[in-house]
Amino acid sequence: MESLKVRILEFTSYKIPDGKMVKVRVDVKNDSIQGITILGDFFLHPEDTLVEIEEELVGIVLEEESITNVIQRVLDTNSAVLIGASARDLAKAIMSARRTR
Amino acid sequence: MAIDEAIMRSLKEERVPPTLRLYRWNPSAVSIGTFQGMKEEVDLEYCGKNNIDYIRRITGGGAVYHDFDGEITYSIILPRGHRLAPDDILGSYEVLCSGVVKGLEHLGIDAQFKPINDIVAGGKKVSGNAQTRRHSCVLQHGTVLLDLDVEVMFSILKVPQEKISDKMIADVKERVTSIRDLLASDVSMDELRDALVAGFSEALKLELVPGNLTEEETALAASLVQEKYATDEWNLSR
Repeated sequence: MESLKVRILEFTSYKIPDGKMVKVRVDVKNDSIQGITILGDFFLHPEDTLVEIEEELVGIVLEEESITNVIQRVLDTNSAVLIGASARDLAKAIMSARRTR
Repeated sequence: MAIDEAIMRSLKEERVPPTLRLYRWNPSAVSIGTFQGMKEEVDLEYCGKNNIDYIRRITGGGAVYHDFDGEITYSIILPRGHRLAPDDILGSYEVLCSGVVKGLEHLGIDAQFKPINDIVAGGKKVSGNAQTRRHSCVLQHGTVLLDLDVEVMFSILKVPQEKISDKMIADVKERVTSIRDLLASDVSMDELRDALVAGFSEALKLELVPGNLTEEETALAASLVQEKYATDEWNLSR
């Protein structure tokens, strides 16, 4: 018998304490990210870095530490500057999708 | 937005000088930050019915309602390495925002820069600002509120109707203000424009020379409208 795969599309909003608003659309299957769009009123220079972060998060397990590490690695590789949020804040925003299930 | 980008591209080619631009939006429009979701932030149906444009910026930050009768937008475009465009992004916000702070002082308003990207007076936000660095340039643009209609703002920005309570409107009025509110006087658009010109010139120690867009900038802006800023592909990309 074919096993049942759980696929969940989530949309979540996360207000960074004293900071910016991050919204996330995420497609999760068996606890791993299949696709993700990170939205918000933060700043990121260069701006194109966000698309790379979203691409690199595909296949990553929905777990705060792993997500933070991926985001931080992409930021470092691009010498990118994230303002109004940190890699950890974005990870927490993504993880809040899990809590809303 | 297209004109801002056209100026950046022309400045990169050294065909135009660093530029300060003051403008209004006709028709009124809502702009969203480059990372925001259009449908999450803006009530497109309300905009359609009320002849309000919507557009995605190339800068981060939040959604802004540019009311033709209630707001002046400025943009300042400088080459990377200019004395007013240091590599330190947060520091450069403060440098460039000092033009707006000084302009408000000309109108008799005591305003301060509030990191990351706001200008406040009496503890309330009166100007929001956003920056991008590309095409070998630094672009900072921002809004300066002359007048504010919170009810209209809430109709445009996507806040669930049931959540638009009197308290919420009161909360926003506690956080956001306008020049006419601050001075309890009917300051005109021209007065605000003149104050901003004087403020930027003094605070940034710039000699501002009035000018027009070059033919090249005008043509480039027109093609950017066609290919980018008027397209769903850009505006609804997130």
